Parts: sequence; C-alpha cells; structure tokens
Amino acid sequence: MSGIALVNSLAGLLIVTSLLVVETRKLRWSALVYGLQSLVLVLVFLALAAAMQASRLYIWAALAFVTKVVLVPLILYRALGQVGDLETPSGLLSPTAALIVAAAILGVSYAVVAPFELKVVAGLKPALAISVAHFFLGLLCILTQRNLLKQVLGYCLMENGSHLTLALMAHNAPELVEIGIATDAIFAVIIMVAMGTQIQRTLKTLDTNALRALKG
Amino acid sequence: MSANWLIWLLAAPLVAALGAFAVRRPGVLPRRLVEGLHLASVSVVLGLALLVVAAVLREGPLLALDDWLYVDALAAIFVLIIGVIGFLAGVYSVGYLRHDLETGALDARRLSVYYGFFNLFLFTMLLVVTSNNIVMLWVAVEATTLGSAFLVGLYGQKSSLEAAWKYVIICTVGVAFGLYGTVLVYADAANVLQHPERASLWTEIVRGAAALDPTIMKVAFVFVLVGFGTKAGLFPLHAWLPDAHSEAPSPVSALLSAVLLKCAVFVILRYVVIVTPAIGPAFPQTLFLVFGGLSLAAAAFFIFVQRDLKRLLAYSSVENIGLIALGLGLGGPAGILAALLHTMNHSLAKALMFCASGNILIKYGSRDLEAVRGLLRVAPVTGLLLLCGALALGGAPPFNLFVSEFWTVVAGVRAGQTALIVVCLLLLTVVLTAFVKLVGGALFGAAPNHVRRGDVGLLNLLPLAVLVVLMLGLGLHLPAPIAQLLDQAAGVVLSSQSGTGMAGR
Repeated sequence: MSGIALVNSLAGLLIVTSLLVVETRKLRWSALVYGLQSLVLVLVFLALAAAMQASRLYIWAALAFVTKVVLVPLILYRALGQVGDLETPSGLLSPTAALIVAAAILGVSYAVVAPFELKVVAGLKPALAISVAHFFLGLLCILTQRNLLKQVLGYCLMENGSHLTLALMAHNAPELVEIGIATDAIFAVIIMVAMGTQIQRTLKTLDTNALRALKG
Repeated sequence: MSANWLIWLLAAPLVAALGAFAVRRPGVLPRRLVEGLHLASVSVVLGLALLVVAAVLREGPLLALDDWLYVDALAAIFVLIIGVIGFLAGVYSVGYLRHDLETGALDARRLSVYYGFFNLFLFTMLLVVTSNNIVMLWVAVEATTLGSAFLVGLYGQKSSLEAAWKYVIICTVGVAFGLYGTVLVYADAANVLQHPERASLWTEIVRGAAALDPTIMKVAFVFVLVGFGTKAGLFPLHAWLPDAHSEAPSPVSALLSAVLLKCAVFVILRYVVIVTPAIGPAFPQTLFLVFGGLSLAAAAFFIFVQRDLKRLLAYSSVENIGLIALGLGLGGPAGILAALLHTMNHSLAKALMFCASGNILIKYGSRDLEAVRGLLRVAPVTGLLLLCGALALGGAPPFNLFVSEFWTVVAGVRAGQTALIVVCLLLLTVVLTAFVKLVGGALFGAAPNHVRRGDVGLLNLLPLAVLVVLMLGLGLHLPAPIAQLLDQAAGVVLSSQSGTGMAGR
C-alpha cells in the first residue's frame, strides 16, 4: 500500500473510533477509547510524515502522543475517579440514527473539499474529507449528549478532526504554531474538566438539563 | 525602540498575572501586594498602549519578534481600547473586589485568582490584536476564552457556574470553526506565495492576497465569521453572551463587553482584508448586513423586555455589535469609519454602564430592575453617571454613540440602502425607549427600606467619571490624533477593495 493510501485508510479508522467514543455509555471506557483513537491519529501523522517527507510531523506525532493519548484520557479518568462514573444519560440520537447522520456528514464534507485545488492535499482528499467530518461528528456529540464530561470528549473529537486537517494542509507551519495549538487544546480540556467537576460538586449532577436556570 | 514597547506591553500583564497567582495568602499585606501589582500592571499597559499608538501614528506600522507581532493603525485602535478600558476597569476592580471581600462573597485566595486571571485576560487580548501570525492569532483568541472562563464563574454559585460552562463550551466550539478558516487561508497562501515558510504571516498573505483561490477563500471566510462571530456575539451565535456578561463580576463584564467582543471584530476585519482581493467586497458585506441586521432586530426586542439590568446591558452589546457589522456591511469610507468609531464609542459607554451596574449591585444587592428604585437619592453620583451612560447607549446627543450612529445612517444612505436604514432607525427608537424606561424606573421613586443612603467609594466613581468625560469629548469633537488613527485604520480595510496592499505601509 502506498503511503498516501495508508494515510487515507487510517483516517477512515478515526471515524469508526469516534463513533465508539460517542456511543460507549461508561465514561471511563469512552475516555480510554478516545486514547485509542488518538493513537490512530498519531499513526496517521507518522504515515503522513513518511509519505510527504515532512519531518516536522514527527514532532507533531510525539506531541499528540503525549497530550492526546496519555494526558487527556488521564485527566478525564482522574476526574471520573473524583465525581464517580455514573451511567451517562442516553443521547438524543439512537446509535443507528447517529450512524446515518455520520454518513451524511461524511458525504457533505467530501462535496465541500472536492473542488479545492491545493497541491498539498492532492490524493489526500478522502483523508481531508474525513478530518472535516470528524470535526462535525465532535460537534454532533456536543449537541446531542447530555453529560458535561461527554461534551468535553465531543470537543476533543472536534479537536482531533481539526488537528488532522492542520496536519494535512499546514504541516509546513512553524513548530511554535503547533505547540501553541496543542497547549491551548490541553488547557481547554483541563479547564472544562475542572469546571465540570466543580459543577458536579455544586449541583450534584453532570446532566446538562440541570443547567437551565439562566434564560431570556 | 518602538518595537520593544510591543514586547513590554505583552510582558507586563503576563508577569503581573504570574505574580498574583503566586501570592495566594490571606491577610492585609498580601492583599495590598496583589492590588499594587495589579494597579502597576494596568497603568503600565495604559502607558505603553498610548506610546504604541503614538508611534504608529508617527512612524507607521510596528513589527517585532521576527515579524510575529505587528501593529498597524487598525490594530492600534484596539490596543488603545484595551489600554484605556483595561486601566479603568482595573482601577474599578480594586474598589469592587474590596466590597466583595468585606461581604464575604469572595475570600482572599479568590481575590488573588481574580487579579491573576484579570491580567492574564488582558495579556491574551493584547496578544490577539498584536499577532501577525494568523495561527498564533487563533491561539490567542482561544486563550482569551480560557483566561476569562474562571472570571465568569468566579462566585462559584449555581448560576455563575452555568454561565461559565456555557461560555467555555460555546466559545471553544465556535472558535474551533475559526481554526478551520485559519488553516484554509494558511494552506492556500503556502500554495501561492513565493515564500511558503512565511505564509502564516498576515502581512505576507495580504501582499499576495489577489492570487488566493476564491472558492477556498469563500469557505474560509464563512468559517471565520461563524467562529469569531460567536466570540463577537453576533446573533444567532450570541447564546453565551447574556449569561456570561450578567454573571461575571461587573468589572469583568465591562472587559468582556467593551474589549473582548471588539477583539473578535478585529480578527474578522483582518480576514476581510485577506479575502476581499480574491472574492471581492460583496460577499463579506452581504454576510455582515444579514448578521448585523438580525443582531440589531433580535437585541432590540430582548432589551425592551428585559427586567435584569446586566442582561439588558448584555443584549445592548449584541445590538451594538450588530450596528458595527452593519457599518462594515454598508462599506465605503463612511461605513468603515462609522464601524470603527462605533467600536471605540461603544467600548467606553458599555464599560461605564457595567461599572455603574456594579455600583448598583453594591448598594441594592440586586440587578432586578423592579427592585432598583430611587437611585438619585440613594447614590446621586452613580445615578447621574448611569443617566449619562443610558442616554449614550440610547443614541442621544451630545454623547459619542450618537455621532457614530449618525455616520452609519449616512453610510446607509450613500450605499442606497434607505429602506434598511429606516428599519434600523425604528429599531434604535425601541432601544432608546427601553433605556429611557430604565432610567425613569431606576433613578426616581422610593428606594427599598434596606438600602442605605450614601454613594459608593471614590475608586468606584472616578473611573466612571473619566469614561463620561471621554464620551462627551468624543461626542462633541473628534481629536485630531483619533481622527487620523481612524482614517488610517479605515485605509487598511479599504485598501483590500481597491487592490493596493497597504500592509507594507
């Protein structure tokens, strides 16, 4: 298999793992599956680095391994240890419905990126479409899930999607840029999780339906 | 030399933030130390901001740190806003937080956390308006959310936690859209520019903007507008705004509304300059008119029915961001100038009103407009300052917002959008009525029995008085340096429409 084809197929695995993250009911398992998905992302970075001879992507892969495969699942796992991993309330969509919506998102994403005339992504359109779709799957997770920490995972999925887009389209950008984005992302997770646990302590629930006092 | 000021401008609030975080002990001495550090920081930021603006006027754009930092006349307007409002809201904070400490709403540890995050927030906003690297610009915008989230949830109550959560999740998700816009622009610029390694620099992208791919630029601009428009509070992306602005401590509300929303507008403007040579001015302008008109219409309704003072002010921010977007949508020199002037004017007026609402909270312990009565007797100076702010936000002369709203109308007539302007004027009348109603209810009548007479302290009044003076000054006569700054800044935006890049000027 050529390097480009490997990148495209590995990217396909991201969609499968992200659906698993969303549909797993126990949050600890979701966090672990997210770690697994991030490992796939790291593999995509490595395959891309080899295929495009983009040495900077090796640094990206190392950074993504530390922040996404290790740190984010660890932070979530520890937070769940504090607040207790309750069975999450089911989302608004059934697993089948989620699958259909995911397929639709993938189709639309492909239609959007198909006309792009960029040398850097020639041959990588499937991976690019998947990265965009992945971003919107994360958004779907935030919109349809009622557990605060599950929404944080939704954000992480969005982030993995945009990170892949970034790697596909902008892997020549200065390293400092990548470091800045990775740092922002990890701080976002830390702050959201800290806020989530504070809400759990004050309101005794992680259900977003409890956050409906402010209106109008 | 002037370029070094940029670095110091960023360093001062960052150092103060770290210092405040380090001193998290109870007692009078640590409190004085943190307050002193904070006041020194906001003073230095104000001084350096003024120096930077003067240098831009004198020498043209400043570049620093290997071209990663850039301040032209457009950015200088926002540096000025951050400097002035940061200083005044910073001074106001000291009096306000002391009151919170006395009443037990906050403890000493949280006080240090407040000053730490306040300065961190200032730093992130300064980074937004001085970034020349568009990816770093995105990082900075995201950092503003993270830096201010704890300020919104500072009181730790149920409602403030809810507001903080909504703020973080909606803005982080929104700004993630902005990253897509950023990446698309970067990738296309790297594709067409002679020096792809410099394709993340705004100044470089603008030089080669005419060669960018129109399809990609259109998609990118939509992502940028949705992403940073969420942060700017454009309807219907504003859902976080009324909650965050009303639940945050009042000086933070002032910063959020008067400065943060404007930083998001600034980012959108930077992208207008990038995409216009490739796709023409019509596409961005149409989107601005649609979002601006919707924001104005929806906000006018919410302002009219609002019973909570700070939520009313928050919706007024949506309304004014709508007016700024309308100015940008009408375009032409008049429209752009009106939008930029309104950006400044609204910042002053909204900072005044949120600080005044803070004084009302101190006196009445409530934001409920049914409960706030007889302010002129209870706290006459605050009452008069509130009156000035309300009239200004209602668009009454001789205050500054009247001038920029008048220019927006002129821009509309020049652009042949008379019908739109008539509708806007009707909506602005609704807003004026709402503010007259607010003033009538709050200033007069009998105060509740539990409210003691006597105005708040000098630290809570002086910053407001300064704001009123500035508003009257800008309303009666536009000083030459400000006029020159606005003119040059409008030139930066307009240059993209005529096809002559201004970035190198």
